[in-house]
Amino acid sequence: MAHLDCSFYSPSLRKNAKVIVFLPTMSADDYLFNDDHPRYFAKGAKYQTLYLLHGSYGDCMDWSLFANAERYAQEHCLAVVMPSAENSSYVDMQYGEDYLTYITRELPAFLSTLFPLSEKREDTFIAGLSMGGGGTFRAAFARPELYGAAASLSGGLDKALSKTSSEAHSVKMPKNYRQACFGDSAVPTPGGKDDLRAALKACVDEGKTLPRLYHVIGEDDFLREGGEAFLAYAKSLGVEIEYKLHPGVHNWDFWDTYLKEVLEWLPLANDMV
Amino acid sequence: MANIHCNYYSDALKLNTDINVVIPTPNSDELMNHKDTGYWHEGARYQVLYLLHGTYGDYSDWCHLTSIEKYAQNHKIMVVMPSVANSFYQDMLYGPAYLTFLTEELPQYLGRLFPASTKREDSFVAGLSMGGYGALHVALAKPEQFCAAASLSGALTFPYGMEDHFRNPKSPWPFRAIFDTDDVEELAKTDVNLFVQIEKLQQAGVELPKLFLTVGTEDFTYAQNQKARKELEKRNVEYTYEEGPGIHDWDYWDEHIKSVLNWLPLANTTV
Repeated sequence: MAHLDCSFYSPSLRKNAKVIVFLPTMSADDYLFNDDHPRYFAKGAKYQTLYLLHGSYGDCMDWSLFANAERYAQEHCLAVVMPSAENSSYVDMQYGEDYLTYITRELPAFLSTLFPLSEKREDTFIAGLSMGGGGTFRAAFARPELYGAAASLSGGLDKALSKTSSEAHSVKMPKNYRQACFGDSAVPTPGGKDDLRAALKACVDEGKTLPRLYHVIGEDDFLREGGEAFLAYAKSLGVEIEYKLHPGVHNWDFWDTYLKEVLEWLPLANDMV
Repeated sequence: MANIHCNYYSDALKLNTDINVVIPTPNSDELMNHKDTGYWHEGARYQVLYLLHGTYGDYSDWCHLTSIEKYAQNHKIMVVMPSVANSFYQDMLYGPAYLTFLTEELPQYLGRLFPASTKREDSFVAGLSMGGYGALHVALAKPEQFCAAASLSGALTFPYGMEDHFRNPKSPWPFRAIFDTDDVEELAKTDVNLFVQIEKLQQAGVELPKLFLTVGTEDFTYAQNQKARKELEKRNVEYTYEEGPGIHDWDYWDEHIKSVLNWLPLANTTV
Protein backbone atom coordinates (compact mmCIF):
# COMPACT_ATOMS: atom_id res chain seq x y z
CA MET A 1 0.00 0.00 0.00
CA ALA A 2 1.41 3.33 -1.12
CA HIS A 3 0.47 6.71 0.32
CA LEU A 4 1.57 9.55 -1.95
CA ASP A 5 1.60 13.20 -0.84
CA CYS A 6 1.77 15.13 -4.10
CA SER A 7 2.44 18.86 -4.40
CA PHE A 8 2.29 20.34 -7.86
CA TYR A 9 1.49 23.48 -9.79
CA SER A 10 -2.15 23.48 -10.85
CA PRO A 11 -2.89 25.54 -13.96
CA SER A 12 -6.61 25.71 -13.23
CA LEU A 13 -6.05 26.95 -9.65
CA ARG A 14 -3.09 29.11 -10.70
CA LYS A 15 -1.17 28.04 -7.60
CA ASN A 16 0.44 25.01 -6.06
CA ALA A 17 -1.96 22.32 -4.98
CA LYS A 18 -1.73 19.30 -2.70
CA VAL A 19 -3.40 15.98 -3.34
CA ILE A 20 -3.05 12.68 -1.56
CA VAL A 21 -3.15 9.61 -3.76
CA PHE A 22 -3.50 6.16 -2.25
CA LEU A 23 -2.49 3.24 -4.46
CA PRO A 24 -3.04 -0.35 -3.35
CA THR A 25 0.19 -2.33 -3.66
CA MET A 26 1.61 -5.38 -1.94
CA SER A 27 0.92 -5.00 1.80
CA ALA A 28 2.17 -6.76 4.89
CA ASP A 29 -1.27 -8.39 5.13
CA ASP A 30 -0.93 -9.66 1.57
CA TYR A 31 2.48 -11.07 2.43
CA LEU A 32 1.33 -12.73 5.64
CA PHE A 33 -2.15 -13.98 4.87
CA ASN A 34 -3.14 -13.51 1.25
CA ASP A 35 -1.27 -15.46 -1.40
CA ASP A 36 -4.21 -14.71 -3.67
CA HIS A 37 -3.69 -10.94 -3.51
CA PRO A 38 -4.31 -8.84 -6.62
CA ARG A 39 -1.55 -8.91 -9.27
CA TYR A 40 -0.84 -5.22 -8.72
CA PHE A 41 1.89 -5.00 -11.31
CA ALA A 42 0.38 -7.14 -14.05
CA LYS A 43 1.22 -5.66 -17.44
CA GLY A 44 -1.29 -3.01 -18.44
CA ALA A 45 -3.26 -3.36 -15.18
CA LYS A 46 -4.91 -0.19 -13.89
CA TYR A 47 -6.71 0.90 -10.76
CA GLN A 48 -10.34 1.64 -10.23
CA THR A 49 -10.32 5.08 -8.66
CA LEU A 50 -12.39 6.89 -6.05
CA TYR A 51 -12.15 10.66 -5.77
CA LEU A 52 -12.85 11.33 -2.10
CA LEU A 53 -13.71 14.87 -1.06
CA HIS A 54 -13.31 16.56 2.33
CA GLY A 55 -15.82 18.84 4.02
CA SER A 56 -15.82 22.50 5.03
CA TYR A 57 -12.88 23.53 7.20
CA GLY A 58 -10.96 20.43 6.00
CA ASP A 59 -8.33 19.39 3.50
CA CYS A 60 -6.75 16.45 1.69
CA MET A 61 -5.46 14.92 4.93
CA ASP A 62 -8.84 14.41 6.60
CA TRP A 63 -9.92 11.05 5.23
CA SER A 64 -6.52 9.55 6.11
CA LEU A 65 -6.30 11.14 9.56
CA PHE A 66 -9.84 10.77 10.86
CA ALA A 67 -11.09 7.66 9.05
CA ASN A 68 -9.58 4.45 7.71
CA ALA A 69 -10.09 5.27 4.05
CA GLU A 70 -6.73 3.84 3.00
CA ARG A 71 -7.17 0.54 4.81
CA TYR A 72 -10.65 0.00 3.33
CA ALA A 73 -9.37 0.97 -0.12
CA GLN A 74 -6.52 -1.54 0.16
CA GLU A 75 -9.06 -4.24 0.98
CA HIS A 76 -11.00 -3.33 -2.15
CA CYS A 77 -7.95 -2.78 -4.39
CA LEU A 78 -9.20 0.74 -5.03
CA ALA A 79 -7.04 3.81 -5.69
CA VAL A 80 -8.19 6.88 -3.77
CA VAL A 81 -7.56 10.49 -4.74
CA MET A 82 -8.00 13.02 -1.95
CA PRO A 83 -7.71 16.62 -3.13
CA SER A 84 -7.87 19.88 -1.18
CA ALA A 85 -10.53 22.41 -2.12
CA GLU A 86 -10.47 24.82 0.84
CA ASN A 87 -13.97 26.15 1.64
CA SER A 88 -14.92 26.44 -2.02
CA SER A 89 -18.10 24.33 -1.96
CA TYR A 90 -16.42 22.72 -4.98
CA VAL A 91 -17.62 25.46 -7.34
CA ASP A 92 -15.72 27.63 -9.79
CA MET A 93 -15.61 30.47 -7.27
CA GLN A 94 -16.89 33.96 -7.92
CA TYR A 95 -13.89 35.45 -6.11
CA GLY A 96 -11.37 32.65 -6.01
CA GLU A 97 -10.22 29.51 -7.74
CA ASP A 98 -11.96 27.20 -10.18
CA TYR A 99 -12.29 24.17 -7.92
CA LEU A 100 -15.03 22.46 -9.91
CA THR A 101 -12.84 22.61 -13.01
CA TYR A 102 -9.88 21.43 -10.96
CA ILE A 103 -11.71 18.41 -9.52
CA THR A 104 -13.62 17.34 -12.62
CA ARG A 105 -11.23 18.25 -15.44
CA GLU A 106 -7.65 18.99 -14.46
CA LEU A 107 -7.09 16.42 -11.75
CA PRO A 108 -8.38 13.32 -13.59
CA ALA A 109 -6.26 14.18 -16.64
CA PHE A 110 -3.19 15.08 -14.57
CA LEU A 111 -3.28 12.04 -12.31
CA SER A 112 -4.01 9.51 -15.01
CA THR A 113 -0.91 10.78 -16.78
CA LEU A 114 1.24 10.27 -13.68
CA PHE A 115 -0.31 7.11 -12.26
CA PRO A 116 -1.96 3.97 -13.66
CA LEU A 117 -5.55 5.05 -13.01
CA SER A 118 -8.23 3.62 -15.26
CA GLU A 119 -9.91 6.38 -17.23
CA LYS A 120 -13.03 4.34 -17.93
CA ARG A 121 -16.32 5.62 -16.62
CA GLU A 122 -17.18 2.32 -14.99
CA ASP A 123 -13.91 2.48 -13.01
CA THR A 124 -14.17 6.10 -11.85
CA PHE A 125 -16.14 7.08 -8.76
CA ILE A 126 -16.55 10.09 -6.53
CA ALA A 127 -17.68 10.47 -2.93
CA GLY A 128 -17.37 13.01 -0.18
CA LEU A 129 -18.71 14.20 3.13
CA SER A 130 -20.75 17.29 4.02
CA MET A 131 -19.54 20.08 1.71
CA GLY A 132 -17.76 17.26 -0.15
CA GLY A 133 -21.06 15.35 -0.46
CA GLY A 134 -22.54 18.37 -2.16
CA GLY A 135 -19.32 18.64 -4.17
CA THR A 136 -19.71 15.00 -5.18
CA PHE A 137 -23.12 15.60 -6.74
CA ARG A 138 -21.93 18.90 -8.19
CA ALA A 139 -19.07 17.06 -9.92
CA ALA A 140 -21.36 14.22 -10.99
CA PHE A 141 -23.83 16.64 -12.61
CA ALA A 142 -21.05 18.71 -14.17
CA ARG A 143 -19.41 15.69 -15.83
CA PRO A 144 -21.85 12.78 -15.67
CA GLU A 145 -19.86 11.01 -18.41
CA LEU A 146 -16.77 10.83 -16.16
CA TYR A 147 -18.13 8.92 -13.16
CA GLY A 148 -19.79 5.54 -12.93
CA ALA A 149 -21.12 6.28 -9.44
CA ALA A 150 -21.28 9.14 -6.96
CA ALA A 151 -21.96 8.88 -3.23
CA SER A 152 -22.75 11.68 -0.80
CA LEU A 153 -22.07 11.10 2.89
CA SER A 154 -24.04 13.64 4.94
CA GLY A 155 -23.86 15.92 1.94
CA GLY A 156 -25.01 19.51 2.07
CA LEU A 157 -27.39 19.18 -0.87
CA ASP A 158 -29.81 21.99 -0.40
CA LYS A 159 -27.97 24.72 1.38
CA ALA A 160 -29.49 27.62 -0.51
CA LEU A 161 -33.05 26.64 -1.10
CA SER A 162 -34.42 24.87 1.95
CA LYS A 163 -35.57 26.82 4.96
CA THR A 164 -34.21 24.34 7.45
CA SER A 165 -31.73 24.07 10.24
CA SER A 166 -29.03 23.47 7.64
CA GLU A 167 -29.16 27.13 6.79
CA ALA A 168 -28.43 28.12 10.36
CA HIS A 169 -25.37 25.91 10.32
CA SER A 170 -24.11 27.04 6.96
CA VAL A 171 -24.08 30.66 8.11
CA LYS A 172 -21.41 29.70 10.63
CA MET A 173 -19.10 29.82 7.64
CA PRO A 174 -18.10 33.51 7.51
CA LYS A 175 -20.24 35.40 5.01
CA ASN A 176 -17.29 36.71 3.02
CA TYR A 177 -16.16 33.09 2.49
CA ARG A 178 -19.57 32.17 1.13
CA GLN A 179 -19.55 35.28 -1.01
CA ALA A 180 -16.20 34.23 -2.42
CA CYS A 181 -17.90 31.06 -3.63
CA PHE A 182 -21.26 32.27 -4.81
CA GLY A 183 -21.07 36.03 -5.22
CA ASP A 184 -22.51 38.85 -3.18
CA SER A 185 -25.72 37.04 -2.19
CA ALA A 186 -23.54 34.41 -0.45
CA VAL A 187 -25.81 31.61 -1.73
CA PRO A 188 -26.04 29.92 -5.13
CA THR A 189 -28.23 31.97 -7.44
CA PRO A 190 -31.42 29.93 -8.06
CA GLY A 191 -31.16 28.56 -11.57
CA GLY A 192 -27.53 29.73 -11.80
CA LYS A 193 -24.40 27.70 -12.43
CA ASP A 194 -23.90 26.80 -8.74
CA ASP A 195 -27.49 25.67 -8.13
CA LEU A 196 -27.38 21.91 -7.64
CA ARG A 197 -31.04 21.47 -8.54
CA ALA A 198 -30.56 23.38 -11.79
CA ALA A 199 -27.46 21.32 -12.61
CA LEU A 200 -29.42 18.10 -12.11
CA LYS A 201 -32.35 19.39 -14.14
CA ALA A 202 -30.01 20.37 -16.98
CA CYS A 203 -28.66 16.79 -17.08
CA VAL A 204 -32.19 15.43 -17.21
CA ASP A 205 -33.34 17.92 -19.83
CA GLU A 206 -30.34 17.14 -22.01
CA GLY A 207 -30.96 13.42 -21.65
CA LYS A 208 -27.54 12.73 -20.13
CA THR A 209 -26.91 9.40 -18.45
CA LEU A 210 -26.25 10.14 -14.81
CA PRO A 211 -23.84 8.18 -12.61
CA ARG A 212 -25.46 5.89 -10.08
CA LEU A 213 -26.27 8.14 -7.12
CA TYR A 214 -26.26 7.40 -3.39
CA HIS A 215 -26.88 9.51 -0.30
CA VAL A 216 -26.30 8.35 3.27
CA ILE A 217 -26.86 10.49 6.35
CA GLY A 218 -27.38 10.26 10.11
CA GLU A 219 -30.87 10.40 11.58
CA ASP A 220 -29.84 13.33 13.77
CA ASP A 221 -27.65 15.11 11.23
CA PHE A 222 -28.48 18.80 10.82
CA LEU A 223 -28.29 18.39 7.05
CA ARG A 224 -30.88 15.61 6.95
CA GLU A 225 -33.90 17.73 5.98
CA GLY A 226 -32.10 19.60 3.24
CA GLY A 227 -30.88 16.31 1.80
CA GLU A 228 -34.37 14.83 1.85
CA ALA A 229 -35.74 17.92 0.13
CA PHE A 230 -33.14 17.49 -2.61
CA LEU A 231 -33.92 13.80 -2.96
CA ALA A 232 -37.63 14.61 -3.32
CA TYR A 233 -36.77 17.12 -6.01
CA ALA A 234 -34.62 14.56 -7.84
CA LYS A 235 -37.47 12.08 -7.64
CA SER A 236 -39.83 14.63 -9.15
CA LEU A 237 -37.44 14.72 -12.14
CA GLY A 238 -37.47 10.94 -12.31
CA VAL A 239 -33.91 10.61 -10.92
CA GLU A 240 -33.42 7.82 -8.41
CA ILE A 241 -30.92 8.49 -5.62
CA GLU A 242 -30.42 5.51 -3.35
CA TYR A 243 -31.04 6.75 0.18
CA LYS A 244 -29.73 5.34 3.46
CA LEU A 245 -30.63 6.72 6.84
CA HIS A 246 -28.71 5.44 9.85
CA PRO A 247 -28.44 6.34 13.53
CA GLY A 248 -25.79 8.99 13.85
CA VAL A 249 -24.81 12.63 13.60
CA HIS A 250 -22.49 14.77 11.51
CA ASN A 251 -19.14 13.33 12.60
CA TRP A 252 -16.22 11.07 11.67
CA ASP A 253 -17.61 8.03 13.49
CA PHE A 254 -20.45 8.14 11.02
CA TRP A 255 -18.29 8.74 7.96
CA ASP A 256 -15.76 6.07 8.87
CA THR A 257 -18.55 3.54 9.37
CA TYR A 258 -20.52 4.42 6.25
CA LEU A 259 -17.59 4.86 3.93
CA LYS A 260 -17.38 1.08 4.23
CA GLU A 261 -21.02 0.85 3.16
CA VAL A 262 -20.34 3.16 0.23
CA LEU A 263 -17.47 0.91 -0.86
CA GLU A 264 -19.79 -2.10 -0.71
CA TRP A 265 -22.32 -0.21 -2.83
CA LEU A 266 -19.80 0.84 -5.49
CA PRO A 267 -19.41 -1.58 -8.43
CA LEU A 268 -15.87 -2.58 -7.44
CA ALA A 269 -13.81 -5.25 -9.13
CA ASN A 270 -11.79 -5.75 -5.92
CA ASP A 271 -8.89 -6.35 -8.26
CA MET A 272 -6.81 -4.60 -10.87
CA VAL A 273 -8.74 -3.79 -14.03
CA MET B 1 6.67 20.07 -11.02
CA ALA B 2 5.08 17.40 -8.90
CA ASN B 3 6.86 16.70 -5.64
CA ILE B 4 5.63 13.38 -4.34
CA HIS B 5 6.40 11.97 -0.93
CA CYS B 6 5.52 8.31 -1.20
CA ASN B 7 5.24 6.04 1.81
CA TYR B 8 4.70 2.41 0.92
CA TYR B 9 5.08 -1.12 2.20
CA SER B 10 8.22 -2.55 0.66
CA ASP B 11 8.08 -6.29 0.27
CA ALA B 12 11.84 -6.36 -0.33
CA LEU B 13 12.53 -4.59 2.97
CA LYS B 14 9.55 -6.07 4.86
CA LEU B 15 8.74 -2.66 6.30
CA ASN B 16 7.24 0.65 5.29
CA THR B 17 9.62 2.95 3.49
CA ASP B 18 9.65 6.54 2.26
CA ILE B 19 10.73 7.80 -1.11
CA ASN B 20 10.63 11.28 -2.63
CA VAL B 21 9.82 11.43 -6.32
CA VAL B 22 10.00 14.65 -8.30
CA ILE B 23 8.37 14.70 -11.72
CA PRO B 24 8.57 17.71 -14.05
CA THR B 25 5.10 18.99 -14.93
CA PRO B 26 4.14 22.40 -16.35
CA ASN B 27 4.84 25.00 -13.66
CA SER B 28 4.61 28.70 -13.03
CA ASP B 29 8.12 29.36 -14.36
CA GLU B 30 7.23 27.79 -17.69
CA LEU B 31 3.99 29.77 -17.73
CA MET B 32 5.57 33.14 -16.90
CA ASN B 33 8.55 32.73 -19.16
CA HIS B 34 6.68 31.16 -22.08
CA LYS B 35 8.74 27.98 -22.05
CA ASP B 36 7.85 24.95 -24.11
CA THR B 37 5.74 22.41 -22.20
CA GLY B 38 5.54 19.93 -25.04
CA TYR B 39 7.17 17.31 -22.85
CA TRP B 40 3.93 16.97 -20.87
CA HIS B 41 1.44 14.66 -22.55
CA GLU B 42 -0.44 11.48 -21.89
CA GLY B 43 1.72 8.40 -22.32
CA ALA B 44 4.95 10.34 -21.74
CA ARG B 45 7.73 8.49 -19.90
CA TYR B 46 10.56 10.13 -18.00
CA GLN B 47 14.24 9.38 -17.78
CA VAL B 48 15.01 8.56 -14.16
CA LEU B 49 17.82 9.54 -11.83
CA TYR B 50 18.07 7.53 -8.64
CA LEU B 51 19.65 9.92 -6.17
CA LEU B 52 21.17 8.43 -3.06
CA HIS B 53 21.78 9.90 0.38
CA GLY B 54 24.86 9.60 2.57
CA THR B 55 25.47 8.28 6.04
CA TYR B 56 23.10 9.78 8.65
CA GLY B 57 20.73 10.76 5.85
CA ASP B 58 17.46 9.67 4.26
CA TYR B 59 15.10 10.20 1.29
CA SER B 60 14.41 13.81 2.25
CA ASP B 61 17.99 15.18 2.21
CA TRP B 62 18.39 16.08 -1.44
CA CYS B 63 15.06 17.93 -1.53
CA HIS B 64 15.70 19.77 1.72
CA LEU B 65 19.32 20.70 1.22
CA THR B 66 19.73 21.31 -2.52
CA SER B 67 17.71 22.73 -5.42
CA ILE B 68 17.46 19.33 -7.11
CA GLU B 69 13.79 19.94 -7.88
CA LYS B 70 14.61 23.01 -9.95
CA TYR B 71 17.43 21.24 -11.78
CA ALA B 72 15.19 18.25 -12.48
CA GLN B 73 12.52 20.53 -13.89
CA ASN B 74 15.09 22.22 -16.11
CA HIS B 75 16.27 18.87 -17.46
CA LYS B 76 12.80 17.25 -17.55
CA ILE B 77 14.10 14.26 -15.64
CA MET B 78 12.33 12.35 -12.89
CA VAL B 79 14.37 12.04 -9.70
CA VAL B 80 13.80 9.33 -7.13
CA MET B 81 15.26 9.49 -3.64
CA PRO B 82 15.06 6.37 -1.48
CA SER B 83 16.07 5.68 2.13
CA VAL B 84 18.53 2.94 3.06
CA ALA B 85 19.58 3.95 6.60
CA ASN B 86 23.34 3.52 7.16
CA SER B 87 23.43 0.19 5.33
CA PHE B 88 26.13 1.10 2.78
CA TYR B 89 23.61 0.01 0.14
CA GLN B 90 24.00 -3.69 0.99
CA ASP B 91 21.62 -6.59 1.44
CA MET B 92 22.18 -6.81 5.18
CA LEU B 93 23.03 -10.10 6.83
CA TYR B 94 20.82 -9.21 9.79
CA GLY B 95 18.50 -6.58 8.36
CA PRO B 96 16.72 -5.34 5.26
CA ALA B 97 17.87 -6.17 1.72
CA TYR B 98 18.59 -2.62 0.57
CA LEU B 99 20.51 -3.53 -2.60
CA THR B 100 17.69 -5.78 -3.79
CA PHE B 101 15.21 -3.06 -2.86
CA LEU B 102 17.07 -0.54 -5.00
CA THR B 103 17.90 -2.71 -7.99
CA GLU B 104 14.81 -4.88 -8.26
CA GLU B 105 11.78 -3.66 -6.35
CA LEU B 106 12.08 0.11 -6.72
CA PRO B 107 12.54 0.11 -10.53
CA GLN B 108 9.45 -2.09 -10.80
CA TYR B 109 7.39 0.27 -8.62
CA LEU B 110 8.57 3.30 -10.56
CA GLY B 111 7.78 1.69 -13.87
CA ARG B 112 4.32 0.59 -12.76
CA LEU B 113 3.08 3.32 -10.42
CA PHE B 114 4.88 6.27 -12.01
CA PRO B 115 5.63 7.33 -15.60
CA ALA B 116 9.24 6.15 -15.38
CA SER B 117 11.08 4.70 -18.33
CA THR B 118 12.79 1.50 -17.22
CA LYS B 119 15.10 1.30 -20.22
CA ARG B 120 18.82 1.14 -19.56
CA GLU B 121 19.55 4.26 -21.59
CA ASP B 122 17.04 6.19 -19.45
CA SER B 123 18.18 4.96 -16.01
CA PHE B 124 20.90 6.70 -14.02
CA VAL B 125 22.10 6.63 -10.44
CA ALA B 126 24.05 9.20 -8.43
CA GLY B 127 24.78 9.81 -4.79
CA LEU B 128 26.97 11.50 -2.25
CA SER B 129 29.51 10.07 0.20
CA MET B 130 28.20 6.62 1.23
CA GLY B 131 25.69 7.16 -1.59
CA GLY B 132 28.52 7.92 -4.03
CA TYR B 133 29.82 4.46 -3.33
CA GLY B 134 26.19 3.26 -3.44
CA ALA B 135 25.62 4.75 -6.88
CA LEU B 136 28.54 2.83 -8.40
CA HIS B 137 27.74 -0.29 -6.40
CA VAL B 138 24.14 -0.33 -7.63
CA ALA B 139 25.04 0.36 -11.27
CA LEU B 140 27.81 -2.26 -11.27
CA ALA B 141 25.45 -4.79 -9.66
CA LYS B 142 22.93 -4.23 -12.50
CA PRO B 143 24.90 -2.88 -15.47
CA GLU B 144 22.10 -4.11 -17.73
CA GLN B 145 19.68 -1.71 -16.01
CA PHE B 146 21.77 1.44 -15.46
CA CYS B 147 23.74 3.18 -18.19
CA ALA B 148 25.47 5.75 -15.99
CA ALA B 149 26.55 6.25 -12.38
CA ALA B 150 27.93 9.36 -10.68
CA SER B 151 29.70 9.69 -7.36
CA LEU B 152 29.88 12.96 -5.44
CA SER B 153 32.52 12.79 -2.71
CA GLY B 154 32.06 9.04 -2.73
CA ALA B 155 33.57 6.52 -0.32
CA LEU B 156 34.87 4.68 -3.35
CA THR B 157 37.57 2.54 -1.80
CA PHE B 158 35.15 0.96 0.68
CA PRO B 159 35.71 -1.20 2.67
CA TYR B 160 39.37 -0.18 2.83
CA GLY B 161 40.07 2.54 5.35
CA MET B 162 37.16 1.45 7.53
CA GLU B 163 39.02 -1.13 9.63
CA ASP B 164 38.55 0.74 12.90
CA HIS B 165 34.85 1.20 12.31
CA PHE B 166 34.35 -2.53 11.73
CA ARG B 167 35.53 -3.15 15.28
CA ASN B 168 33.82 -0.17 16.88
CA PRO B 169 30.28 -0.98 18.09
CA LYS B 170 29.58 2.77 18.24
CA SER B 171 30.35 3.23 14.55
CA PRO B 172 27.49 4.90 12.67
CA TRP B 173 27.42 1.87 10.35
CA PRO B 174 26.00 -1.38 11.79
CA PHE B 175 28.72 -3.46 10.10
CA ARG B 176 28.13 -6.48 12.32
CA ALA B 177 24.57 -6.59 11.05
CA ILE B 178 25.53 -5.84 7.45
CA PHE B 179 28.38 -8.28 6.80
CA ASP B 180 29.31 -11.80 7.82
CA THR B 181 32.89 -10.78 8.58
CA ASP B 182 34.77 -7.93 10.17
CA ASP B 183 37.89 -8.84 8.18
CA VAL B 184 38.23 -5.94 5.74
CA GLU B 185 40.80 -7.78 3.61
CA GLU B 186 38.39 -10.69 3.14
CA LEU B 187 35.49 -8.37 2.39
CA ALA B 188 37.57 -6.50 -0.18
CA LYS B 189 37.78 -9.72 -2.22
CA THR B 190 33.98 -9.74 -2.68
CA ASP B 191 31.47 -7.69 -4.66
CA VAL B 192 31.42 -5.20 -1.80
CA ASN B 193 34.57 -3.82 -3.44
CA LEU B 194 33.68 -1.73 -6.51
CA PHE B 195 36.87 -2.81 -8.28
CA VAL B 196 36.08 -6.49 -7.83
CA GLN B 197 32.67 -5.77 -9.38
CA ILE B 198 34.41 -4.05 -12.29
CA GLU B 199 36.92 -6.86 -12.85
CA LYS B 200 34.16 -9.46 -12.93
CA LEU B 201 32.18 -7.48 -15.50
CA GLN B 202 35.29 -6.96 -17.60
CA GLN B 203 36.06 -10.67 -17.51
CA ALA B 204 32.50 -11.43 -18.57
CA GLY B 205 32.72 -8.88 -21.38
CA VAL B 206 29.80 -6.85 -20.00
CA GLU B 207 29.49 -3.19 -20.95
CA LEU B 208 30.18 -1.06 -17.90
CA PRO B 209 27.95 1.87 -16.99
CA LYS B 210 29.52 5.26 -17.74
CA LEU B 211 31.17 6.67 -14.63
CA PHE B 212 31.54 10.19 -13.26
CA LEU B 213 33.49 11.20 -10.16
CA THR B 214 33.55 14.59 -8.49
CA VAL B 215 35.08 15.63 -5.18
CA GLY B 216 36.07 18.82 -3.38
CA THR B 217 39.78 19.48 -3.11
CA GLU B 218 39.45 20.03 0.66
CA ASP B 219 37.13 17.06 1.16
CA PHE B 220 38.34 14.36 3.57
CA THR B 221 37.50 11.81 0.86
CA TYR B 222 39.77 13.59 -1.65
CA ALA B 223 42.68 11.17 -1.14
CA GLN B 224 40.51 8.07 -1.52
CA ASN B 225 38.95 9.53 -4.66
CA GLN B 226 42.45 9.93 -6.12
CA LYS B 227 43.18 6.35 -5.15
CA ALA B 228 39.96 5.24 -6.82
CA ARG B 229 41.00 7.04 -10.03
CA LYS B 230 44.26 5.10 -10.05
CA GLU B 231 42.34 1.85 -9.57
CA LEU B 232 40.08 2.72 -12.51
CA GLU B 233 43.03 3.67 -14.71
CA LYS B 234 44.88 0.49 -13.75
CA ARG B 235 41.90 -1.41 -15.20
CA ASN B 236 41.57 0.84 -18.27
CA VAL B 237 38.11 1.98 -17.19
CA GLU B 238 36.98 5.18 -18.88
CA TYR B 239 35.50 7.74 -16.53
CA THR B 240 34.91 11.46 -16.25
CA TYR B 241 36.48 13.33 -13.36
CA GLU B 242 35.87 16.75 -11.99
CA GLU B 243 37.06 18.51 -8.87
CA GLY B 244 36.65 21.96 -7.40
CA PRO B 245 37.23 23.94 -4.26
CA GLY B 246 35.09 22.62 -1.44
CA ILE B 247 34.67 20.30 1.50
CA HIS B 248 32.32 17.42 2.29
CA ASP B 249 29.14 19.51 2.42
CA TRP B 250 25.87 20.42 0.72
CA ASP B 251 27.28 23.55 -0.89
CA TYR B 252 29.53 21.28 -2.92
CA TRP B 253 26.82 18.73 -3.72
CA ASP B 254 24.23 21.35 -4.68
CA GLU B 255 26.74 22.89 -7.09
CA HIS B 256 28.12 19.68 -8.51
CA ILE B 257 24.90 17.73 -8.96
CA LYS B 258 24.46 20.25 -11.78
CA SER B 259 27.68 18.94 -13.35
CA VAL B 260 26.30 15.43 -13.03
CA LEU B 261 23.09 16.42 -14.83
CA ASN B 262 25.09 18.11 -17.59
CA TRP B 263 27.25 15.01 -17.96
CA LEU B 264 24.40 12.47 -18.05
CA PRO B 265 23.04 11.50 -21.50
CA LEU B 266 19.77 13.35 -20.94
CA ALA B 267 17.02 13.78 -23.49
CA ASN B 268 15.95 16.98 -21.67
CA THR B 269 12.41 15.98 -22.47
CA THR B 270 10.13 13.02 -21.94
CA VAL B 271 10.90 9.85 -23.85
